[in-house]
Amino acid sequence: MRDLLRKELFLSASVLSYLFIPFGLLFLVPGYPILCSAFFVSLGLFQSFQNAREANDLVFSALLPVAKADVVRGKYRFVCLIEACAFLLMAVSVLLRMTVFSEAAVYRGNALMNANGFALGSACVIFGLFNRIFVGGFFKTGYRLGRPFVGFIIAAFLTIGIAETLHHVPGLEMLNAFGMDHPAVQLSAAAAGMIVFLLLTAASCRKACEDFERIDL
Amino acid sequence: MIVEVCGLGKRYPAFELKDVSFGLESGRITGFIGRNGAGKTTTIRSMLNLVHPDCGEIRFFGRPLAGHETEVKQRIGYQAGTVSWYPRKKIRDIVRIVKRFYKTWDDAAYHRYLDRFSIDEGKTPLELSEGMKVKLSLLLALSHRSEVLILDEPTSGLDPFSRQEILEIFTALKSTGVTVLFSTHIISDLEKCADDILYISRGKIAAAAPKEDFIRRYSRDGETLEDTMLRLEGGTAYA
Repeated sequence: MRDLLRKELFLSASVLSYLFIPFGLLFLVPGYPILCSAFFVSLGLFQSFQNAREANDLVFSALLPVAKADVVRGKYRFVCLIEACAFLLMAVSVLLRMTVFSEAAVYRGNALMNANGFALGSACVIFGLFNRIFVGGFFKTGYRLGRPFVGFIIAAFLTIGIAETLHHVPGLEMLNAFGMDHPAVQLSAAAAGMIVFLLLTAASCRKACEDFERIDL
Repeated sequence: MIVEVCGLGKRYPAFELKDVSFGLESGRITGFIGRNGAGKTTTIRSMLNLVHPDCGEIRFFGRPLAGHETEVKQRIGYQAGTVSWYPRKKIRDIVRIVKRFYKTWDDAAYHRYLDRFSIDEGKTPLELSEGMKVKLSLLLALSHRSEVLILDEPTSGLDPFSRQEILEIFTALKSTGVTVLFSTHIISDLEKCADDILYISRGKIAAAAPKEDFIRRYSRDGETLEDTMLRLEGGTAYA
């Protein structure tokens, strides 16, 4: 599996997947819909799938001495690695905003959602949706990229819209907590997002392995 | 038999592969002949697990491909169509990744064949001619000591000199015990190097025999192998 991940990193991946990882730092930008950073990271990953399709990567990989299901798992590992790198930058940004910059006027006057545990959890949900809708959708055919990506775009921006709106709902203001306010809520929201990510990714990977086994390359 | 294909079937809307069965003997070259669309590529891609047959079984080294895919692929080399993967990556970089997948990768053999095929590691597949792409496939296959080579139309689109060179390589490989199955629609390829002929027509194996037996059985007096194949494919009674 390590060799497959190495193949993904050095042969299949588009450089844009790496260049888009720093979009995780958009979590530091005040007055910006910070969850769009998760979408941009996903857009970078999309470029790798396009790149891989043009390079006949799936046929090449399926001919290597590995089980076909491992080809799928290798792709998921690569996707999750890029998402984890971006998530790390988001988490660092959140920590900075929660501690060093917690009283900064520019963040206090932020009209949009704050970078906090809830934002991290929401980013995880967007990554999970990418894995479920786009990556899983791609492996239904092994070549069709457009339809699953459009599906993901709709789901991602719905999620962003809902996440940006929720803290305006009476009783849910704590979702927009500043600094270390409402730590239990923030931690729970982040954990819930991570659990959703894991569930969506695991279900998607299992289904993609089955689909990929069935399709003709 | 080092490779056995039994009752392979695959149905497409406009084509059906029907009950394809044959075997490959160790250290022999088998030419897989048939016109375009006869089912050669579907058969070969099924043998490489790229296409899922509706029925039938494929066995390598006495073991079914299903369930032993990884170990079987360690011992076979392949070329599924012309090299079209990673067109802008340097061959050196592709090889650096690929070699890690093979337990039997032999760097000395790799450099030996690299010299023999005059392949420049610094080039990308995009910069290679069709003949050099075939040689690149062979280079990768031979560098992990493949016991069986399965090649889909390796001589298609090559100039006569490159074709001759590839066929000579097959013959040299045979002398080292490598089993070769190559599909072609160029009949002279069979005359030059095949020990066995596997003839597929309209999705069915029409004949499978050593070349001499095939000629004895199907050729008429004064006919070349090409004349015989053209007559058979033309629909004249031959069974």
